[in-house]
Order: sequence, then C-alpha cells, then structure tokens
Amino acid sequence: MKRLRKSWRDPALILAVAPAGLLMTAFFVVPLVMTALLSFQGTKYYRLVWTWNLDVWSDVFSQAHYWTIMGRTVWMSGLCVALCVILGLPIAYAMATRLKSLENHITILIVFAFLTDAVLKTFGWVLFLDRTGVFNGMLTLVGFPPGATDLLFGPGATMIGMVYNLLPYTIFTIYLSMVRIDRDLILAAYDAGASKTRTFFEVTLPLARPGIYAGAILVFVLSLGVFLEPKVMGGGTSPMAAELIRQSFETRVNWPLGAALTLVVIGIGMVSLGLAALVVRNRLQGQDLQGQGGQV
Amino acid sequence: MSHPIIEAAAIDKFYQSYQALHGVSLTVAPGEFLALVGPSGCGKTSLLKILAGFEDPTSGDLMIEGKHMVGVPPSQRPTRMVFQKLALFPHKTVAENIGFPLKLAKVAHGEIDRRVREMLSLMHLKESYMNRLPAQLSGGEQQRVALARSMISKPSVLLLDEPLSALDAKLKKSLQAELKRLHRNLGTSFVHVTHDLEEAMMLADRICVMRAGHMLQVGTPEDIYYRPATTFVAGFIGETNLLPVMVAAHGGQGSKKWRFASPSIACADPVVDRTQSAPTVVDGDALMMLRPEMIHLLPEGTPDMPCAMTGIVDEYFVKGASIQYRVSVEGLAAPVILEVPGTLRRPADVGEPVRLGFRRLDAYLLPADPHAGVAA
Repeated sequence: MKRLRKSWRDPALILAVAPAGLLMTAFFVVPLVMTALLSFQGTKYYRLVWTWNLDVWSDVFSQAHYWTIMGRTVWMSGLCVALCVILGLPIAYAMATRLKSLENHITILIVFAFLTDAVLKTFGWVLFLDRTGVFNGMLTLVGFPPGATDLLFGPGATMIGMVYNLLPYTIFTIYLSMVRIDRDLILAAYDAGASKTRTFFEVTLPLARPGIYAGAILVFVLSLGVFLEPKVMGGGTSPMAAELIRQSFETRVNWPLGAALTLVVIGIGMVSLGLAALVVRNRLQGQDLQGQGGQV
Repeated sequence: MSHPIIEAAAIDKFYQSYQALHGVSLTVAPGEFLALVGPSGCGKTSLLKILAGFEDPTSGDLMIEGKHMVGVPPSQRPTRMVFQKLALFPHKTVAENIGFPLKLAKVAHGEIDRRVREMLSLMHLKESYMNRLPAQLSGGEQQRVALARSMISKPSVLLLDEPLSALDAKLKKSLQAELKRLHRNLGTSFVHVTHDLEEAMMLADRICVMRAGHMLQVGTPEDIYYRPATTFVAGFIGETNLLPVMVAAHGGQGSKKWRFASPSIACADPVVDRTQSAPTVVDGDALMMLRPEMIHLLPEGTPDMPCAMTGIVDEYFVKGASIQYRVSVEGLAAPVILEVPGTLRRPADVGEPVRLGFRRLDAYLLPADPHAGVAA
C-alpha cells in the first residue's frame, strides 16, 4: 500500500503517463463534459442559445418516440449479442480444436474481412439481398418465384448487417479463451467417461466464459452505436439511436437535444454494463463464497 | 498367476516418421503395482497414453480385462488416469471434481454424495473442503483430490503419469507412502510412470525399464538393482562400478572363467556362475557390476576378502548415513566408488592408500556391449 502511494509521487511515472492522460482529457473527458453542458441549453431559429434550462430534458422524457427508438436499439443490440455469441462459439471452437492446423489461414481471412471497409461490405450485402440481387437470383435458379424474399430495408436486414460486421469480435475473444484451456482437462473429461458433447458443455464452455463475456460486452457497446447498417440495409424504416442523434444534430440542427440523447445512450450503455458486471460478479462471488463456506 | 489384466503385445507407435515404441510387450497382473521408468523421451508416456486410450498403437494388440482395446475410446475403458499436472477442473468444486465420473455414469445424487465423502475420508481430506475450488487447496491436497477423482468409480487399472514429480521432497515422500497404502487397500492395478528410480523401487512390485522406445528389462526391484540386463539399466538405477573383465571357456561342460583386465584386482576361484551373470554375456570382453555398498574398505590388520584390490583415495563425500569414497585403482579408467557406513571417525583420508575387498557372490557379470539383448 505504502509502495503504491509512493509510486504516485514518482516524477518519472507522472511524466510517462502525462501524454496519454492529456490526450484522454482533451479528446474524451472535455467533449463529454461539453456534451453534458450543451444538453442544458436551448435553440432559437436553428441557433444555439446559451440559456440554462431543462427544456430539452423534459422534451426527451415526455416523447414516447425517442424511447421507442432507444428500446429498439437495446433490443437489437441484445439480439445481436446473442446471435454473435451463438454463431461465434462453433467457429472459435473449431479454430481452437479441429482446424488447429488451418488456424493461421482462418485468422488471416477473418482479419481481412474485418479490415475491409464496413461501408463497402454493407453495400455488398445490399447487392446480395436486393430483390433482383444474387440471393434472389439463386433462389429463382432452384425454382422459387422471382423476388421470393424481400429481406432488404427492414430490421431483419439491419440485424444481418450488424451480426456480419460484429461477429469477428466474439470469434476472437472466445477463441482466445478457448486456446488457453489445458488440453489435459479435455483428456481428463474423456478419461472420466465423458463424450465429446458432454466435455464441451462440462469443461470447454464454462472455461471459455471469460471470452464469451468479453465478446458480448464489446458487441453490445458497438451495437448501441450502430449507424451504417440501419441506414443502408434497414432503409431508415426502423432507425436506431445513432440515426436519431444524427438527425437531431444535422437535420433538426438541435444540438442540445442531440447532446441529451447522446447522454441517454451513454447512460443506457453504462447501466446495461453495470447490470451485466453485477450478474457476472455475483456468479463468481457465489463460487467464491461456496469455496470460503468450507473454511468456516 | 491369475489371468493378466493388461496384455500388450508387440506394440509399435509411430508419430509421423518417428518411432516412439518398438515392439513393446507387457503384462500386468490384477492388483499389481508396475512402474515404467526411463529417461525422458524413452516412450513411457506414449505407452501410458496407449493404455489410457488417448492414442492408438500403430501396430500390435492391447487387451484389458480380456477385451480388445485398440480403437476403444478412453471413456469406454476400465482405466483411469492421474495426470502429471493433475488436470483438476478449475471451475468445479472439490466435490464436483471427485464426483464427476459418477455424474457421467448417471449415479444418483445421494449416492454420489455418499461416495465422495467416502473418498475424502480415504484420502484424509476434510469434508469441509467439498465446496472449495481446487485453487484453494495446497499442492498435496490437490494431489489427493486428483487421486480421489480417479479412484471413485473403482477402475480396475489406475494409470499414473508422474503425478508426484512436481512436489517438494518431503511432500513427495508422504504421498509415496499414501500411494502404497492406497494400492494395498484397494487392490487395483497401478501402472506408474516415473523417472525417479528410487520412487519406482520403493513402490512397485515390478519395474519396467525403457530406453528409446525399447523395453530393456522387466523385473522386481531386486532384479533390476542386483541383476540388471544391461549396463544402461545398471547405470540408470543408482551408482555402480563396472570393472572390465575377460570371459573365457575353462575346462569342460561349458564352464567359464573370468579374469580382470587390470592386474591390481584379483579374485580367488573366478568361475562364471550362471546366477551371477546376465544370459547375454559372451566370451571375450565383459563388465563386472559391483554396487558401491558391496565393496568394503578393509582396515589394516583385517584379513583379505576373496576378492581384493588396492588403490588411493581420490575423494570422499560424507552423506550422513554413509560415506562415499572414490578410490583410483591402477589399470582402471574410472575410480572405484564404494560406500561405507557413516561414522564419526572417517576410516581414510584423501591420498591415503587403501585395501578394498568384495565377495564374488555380490558381483554380477554384464555384456560389454550396451545394446546386447536389445532388438534394433
């Protein structure tokens, strides 16, 4: 403890931390504080008026429209997390086990897909899913009537785009926690009489939990701010929070409203993460308490 | 002897082009404690993995309890493994770890609980440990949990992959005693892989010495120690002296005599006794094995022993219970190592000439060729 306190007075340490600290303050803390201050101002004739009031906030809390969009954002983000985990698990598992020899190739492919510009990929999906696009063309080939599916420009298409763009996060985090599992633990489960499926659920999955949680948190936070997919693939019919904020700032030129909505989204994100952390910690603590119960 | 529980016949194991096992044949009797020893890379762990079912032999046959085992997965075998690094499930409590094999066998909840408690008391573990995680136990306690997990479903063979190698000397000793007690109480066959020969000698009914994928010798600890098959086995277990001798025919009825290559050693009546010689010894060069404790330092005024030599003390080491001397003898490349009972008054100092003696019956003849008796 003493050592820790002393380390704060270490001039070399302060000097080393200073650039990062300044950067974070200038480009993260200050804008955040400014956003908060902005939300207590007003607008007149599309101009910002510096008058302290709560008008914008009462507007935010009285209009159901905003909360429909917020609710949809949270719901879509939750669904996206679930789909990314469910789809990411088998891929990560395969990479960590069966396809171990192809691991590098698969990683490179995923990184390439990941690094390709999201706008490009999203428009790619539009071409693919379009009523006269590749997907419908293929369906027609096997005998479906032309234009059999009309996925594009709806929440379904938005979800496809979101999952597609965010899936690598869960694949990588889950993969990283899976490769760290000692192979002897798997063998020990087989030796004790477990089938492969049973071993997966009894040993691999519980031990991959840290990766699943990390991936889920990343995907959730990124989903809350998703902007491109609802716009391009969802066709703007069911906007999400980011689109609402953009409209407030750009179309309606109501900066205080945009600032307030931004804070609402940040708040939702923080509350959700807090709840998730609480659940995870309770689980771990439950395990801990059980463990310590033995000592009493 | 009753029907063997494990019968391995001519097992070969290849990893790509590398051959890890060369025609290994081995039987284990019910209730037997067999130790597999050898330097790292000798194939002992490969053999254990084949017994456990984690690997299949490239060729050869394996029967356990009279059933063919090649291709049978580990979960379907009557064997249980204790892993080198224990492989306790870190996310499961002690009780869940121990009861895991029973849970998989769909044993009723109450029955699992009863048998877990039974195992805990057998392993001298407190019942209050049941709800702890493995990480909350000491190294020795974790060992006991690992043993309990592998014993709870009463396997007919327990496979131990050097589970004691990571422990400090004192804990190791107490767990060795524990293993021996367990083995006696349970009547399960143990196959114990170790590179610690002292451990193998202490615990095992029979020891199988391996080197480079070959089985060099299988025998009781006494066989291995006093009647090793090759100089490698002799040198692997404890320290030993190998004195060059010449073997030659002598008289009729195939009787043979030997004489020392060095003139400073002499023996009365040097006849080759069949029980005091490896069957692979041929005429010509051979080696006489003498354990350090079989060579005596003869104080002045005592009569000579049947075999005698003289030399000068090179170095000595006080080991407590004994004193080890290294004596250089003219005509021998390596100093003669001998151990005498420890006393407060050292019988000889560095540089002093000493007279040494041994009995012909304590010597054992070995082939000079280190690969004799090993199929290439």
